[in-house]
Amino acid sequence: MLRLGIKSLLAHKIRFALTASTIVIGVAFVVASFVTADSLRSGFDQLAEDINTGTDYTVRGELPFGDVFDAVAPPVPAELVDDIAAVDGVEIAAGGFFVDGVIPVDGSGEPVTTFGPPAAGSNWIEDESLSQFYLIDGRWPVGIGEFALDVNSFADYDFELGGTYQIVTPTGPREFTLTGTAQFGFPEDAGVGAIFSLFDSATAQEVLGYPGEFTAISVRAEAGADIAEVQTRIEAVLPDGVEVITAAESAEEFSEGTETIIGPFQTILLVFAFIVLFVSMFIISNTFNIVLGQRVRELSVLRAVGATPGQVRMSVLTESAIIGIVASLAGLGLGMLGALGLKALFSVLGASLPESSLPLTPRTVLWAVVVGVGFTVLASLVPAFKASRISPVAGLSEGTTSDERASLGWKRLASGGVLLAIGLVLTGLGLFGDFDGATPQLSTLGAGAAVTFVAVSVLSPLVARAVVSLLARPLVWFMPISGRLARANAARNPRRTSATAVALTIGLALVTMVSIVGQSLKVSFGDRLATAFTADFIVTVDTQAGLPQTLSKDIRAADIGTPVGFSFDLAQIEADAGGVQTGVTRVIETTLTVASVRDLDAVINIDVIDGSLDSFDPQSGLLIHSDVAGDEGLAVGDQVDLTFVSGDRRTFNVAAIFDGSGFWSNWFIDSALHTQVATTAFDDLLMVQSAIDDPEAARAAIDDVLTGYPQAVLEDRQEFQDSIESGLNTVLVLVNVFLGFALLIALIGIVSTLTLSVFERIREIGLLRAVGMTRRQMRRMIRWEAAAVSLYGAVVGVVLGAAFGVATSAAIPEDIIDTIAVPYLQLFVFLVISVGFGLIAALFPAFRASRMNVLDAIADE
Amino acid sequence: MSVAAPPTHAAARAVAATKIYGSGDTAVRALDAIDVTFEQGQFTAIMGPSGSGKSTLMHCMAGLDRVTEGQVLIGEVDLSTLSERDLTLLRRDNVGFVFQAFNLVTTLTAIENIMLPMDLAGSAGDADWVDEVVSATGLADRLKHRPSELSGGQQQRVAVARALAGQPQVIFADEPTGNVDLNTGAEILGFMRNAVDEMGQTIVMVTHDAVAASYADRVVFLVDGKIVDELTDPTPERIRAHMNQLGA
Repeated sequence: MLRLGIKSLLAHKIRFALTASTIVIGVAFVVASFVTADSLRSGFDQLAEDINTGTDYTVRGELPFGDVFDAVAPPVPAELVDDIAAVDGVEIAAGGFFVDGVIPVDGSGEPVTTFGPPAAGSNWIEDESLSQFYLIDGRWPVGIGEFALDVNSFADYDFELGGTYQIVTPTGPREFTLTGTAQFGFPEDAGVGAIFSLFDSATAQEVLGYPGEFTAISVRAEAGADIAEVQTRIEAVLPDGVEVITAAESAEEFSEGTETIIGPFQTILLVFAFIVLFVSMFIISNTFNIVLGQRVRELSVLRAVGATPGQVRMSVLTESAIIGIVASLAGLGLGMLGALGLKALFSVLGASLPESSLPLTPRTVLWAVVVGVGFTVLASLVPAFKASRISPVAGLSEGTTSDERASLGWKRLASGGVLLAIGLVLTGLGLFGDFDGATPQLSTLGAGAAVTFVAVSVLSPLVARAVVSLLARPLVWFMPISGRLARANAARNPRRTSATAVALTIGLALVTMVSIVGQSLKVSFGDRLATAFTADFIVTVDTQAGLPQTLSKDIRAADIGTPVGFSFDLAQIEADAGGVQTGVTRVIETTLTVASVRDLDAVINIDVIDGSLDSFDPQSGLLIHSDVAGDEGLAVGDQVDLTFVSGDRRTFNVAAIFDGSGFWSNWFIDSALHTQVATTAFDDLLMVQSAIDDPEAARAAIDDVLTGYPQAVLEDRQEFQDSIESGLNTVLVLVNVFLGFALLIALIGIVSTLTLSVFERIREIGLLRAVGMTRRQMRRMIRWEAAAVSLYGAVVGVVLGAAFGVATSAAIPEDIIDTIAVPYLQLFVFLVISVGFGLIAALFPAFRASRMNVLDAIADE
Repeated sequence: MSVAAPPTHAAARAVAATKIYGSGDTAVRALDAIDVTFEQGQFTAIMGPSGSGKSTLMHCMAGLDRVTEGQVLIGEVDLSTLSERDLTLLRRDNVGFVFQAFNLVTTLTAIENIMLPMDLAGSAGDADWVDEVVSATGLADRLKHRPSELSGGQQQRVAVARALAGQPQVIFADEPTGNVDLNTGAEILGFMRNAVDEMGQTIVMVTHDAVAASYADRVVFLVDGKIVDELTDPTPERIRAHMNQLGA
């Protein structure tokens, strides 16, 4: 008896740990997402504060529309510095630059680039606290041939003071001598991984392409001056289109900007957290069901000696609450570790984040506990009610048979059917409904998916026995007796099999859905790319800023062929329907594609259906897609007014209407005009129609020009297509890694259920061992039982996921996905993997079962 | 003790078999240097009061447990020389079992349960023999039924049939009628008796029921891990008299 007691305790410990671990992982996800996001916020806020010390105001060009974070504001005239300095209450004003896309090349020819943070060109000024550029070593550069470099790049790359290096600037590649190193912010470096090349102000104006201008002016008020009053006085001297903001406003703007990245990041992590927790609920519910089934005798004795159903219910809920609390606390710890891990991951990916601790706020702790306890208790509700309905005499009759017969009737079918209908309607609504923004749409979709999964878990026991028996049939062919027993065991308790499998079903449904949408994206993209352009070569760049427009000129000058640079810019468009003066003007904010329009035919399939490119006037011509023409009622010859972020406003004539679609937007203007109104001078990519017949020779010739632009990446059509696809693959892999956590929970669920089932069947196991089943046969039996259960879960998951995936692909607009592609081989691999999954999950339970003492097993009462 | 000359037809025997549980002060001698032989073609009953070691003796003889000292032989194979795996294979191929309850695998049909040891061995068995055993059970029309669809007596008959089907050297039965009513018990015991008489099988049965034991050819009495007495051609009355004498 003692031995049995210890054994049961051990079984409880393992059950406890396994049950809790699923919630631990879910809570850890929640905690990690909050802590990481909070850490990023506090880091960036601190950074904003640091870089604003010493500066009271920033004067800059006003953006007529758009956001400072996705548009570059127009520059301000240099003379304004003196006007502002003369304002009463202003101590000092200095013009500064921040121009992204300035790339130094080190001694070994390697470009200094980053994945994310800007590579900026700027200027130093005497008052270091105003500019926040502090000289660390050497001296400040003076004149057209000198520059200083940020300390981090100096340390990480091959640079020496006094050496001469090439810098790729918006005005082309140039040579400079390195005179010193500098740091942004002091004493702490606040560069956050950004690269800085510093020049004196005059050189910066010339090299960065802003003659007589600055991108902003930093201003400090005299000590004791009234900040608001001085701001008003500065405003008074500013021309139209220039604004002054205080340091506080600029810090706030900065955190709003960083929040646009941190917020979604946190949301995405939370979504994964809830997927994990949702899956965990099924595991916990199942575990409670099994354990309470095994404790029928104990519970009925409790009832017999006078415990009310309510007390039994409370005892179960209390147990789950305790598990929830313990799991929440463990999840808090694991979540902090996870946040550390995420931070490390970021720095590996090259995004060096501001120094900050991992802030554990009361809000995070509250979430962890509420979510951890909430989900656990919620999951144990049904088992608790079931336990409270155990009759006091239940223990007197033959106790704990887990083999259930039928009892899966119309009630289950009806409730499952209703749930399924609700789930599908919600899902359909989420996919195809009209929504005001992404959040309500995604919430509807998520709720629809969740309800559908619950419905599937309700309906699954109705078919589990038949489907499992069918799926596991091959086992009988290959392993006559172990296989037959494994198959029978997997099918013996359809409700338990379903509950165990549903976690895997959910995980695989999501993975399948992602892979189908991903595949559809890839195929749609690939097809479109294959027909979208005819260029022989494509030049791209990994940095945010793009390629200096001088590159296009250099290629043209080298007589290699026709280069066409593409860039994208924001514009506001005012159009009168049908070109008729209706009195109603609509303003549309849209993305313009900028390119040399007359050359478009050479590199892309623009497919002009009305008008002509030959008669296109670069100064006033506008090219629009047929969709836009239809929507806005525009025709060739209509006039349209465009306002650019620089504040310039021009009138255009619709010169042609095109039908081709690709990476470009629905509006084209010519680059010749754009340079006059643009706030930046970069191409996002460059297409080259080669005039050299031999592709190798053509490539060599372009490579030759690119030596001046080492950050550029040259690809032919196939390579370009491949790299786009591999970029998409990276995203898919990342998503799948997170979904992998749901699969991990499913794995734990199988381990947990199987361990309990083995314990429950201890007598049968003893019998089998007694009559001569070897340990190996025993392990095989249990492993393949698990494989059969997980294959069942996987098949349901893949079918469900395929339905979701196809529906989602269909719901995504045609200009993104026009071909629905199902990666059959991949889905098959999922099924094979899930069988492996079951085999792995069964390792521990199988080991335990095979090591069970035969005599104890037989004697177990 | 009256152990005769070395047996020539021993299905199983114990030589100075000793089983000690625990160690030191708390050590319990469950079997104390037991010598016993179970002849082929004989039906032997082991009797004794609770704690006398009768179940331990059966478990050790059947290769479910190991003796601490001495030897146990099935046929001429010394079980103490066998590995865990070989012991399992020996049980599968040379020993039959009938337990008091939970004899059958609930997910398998009656015939699948009967064939279980042979299926585990991957052998087809002797089809004629199996047919004979099956017809002797009188369950030919219920072979496709699951245990839950059979009565207790029918279940035990299936269990006996399973023990017989592989033609083992010896069958061990642990209170095979402990869980059924008198009539059913008689039916099962008659079936076992028949297996010995008609089919030439060897059965060793642990029981505390004098009536059950009276079906055997010979009754061995155990007290405190020692064989204290035995009886051939027993009747219930003689068995009870012996039991009383032993103070059980």
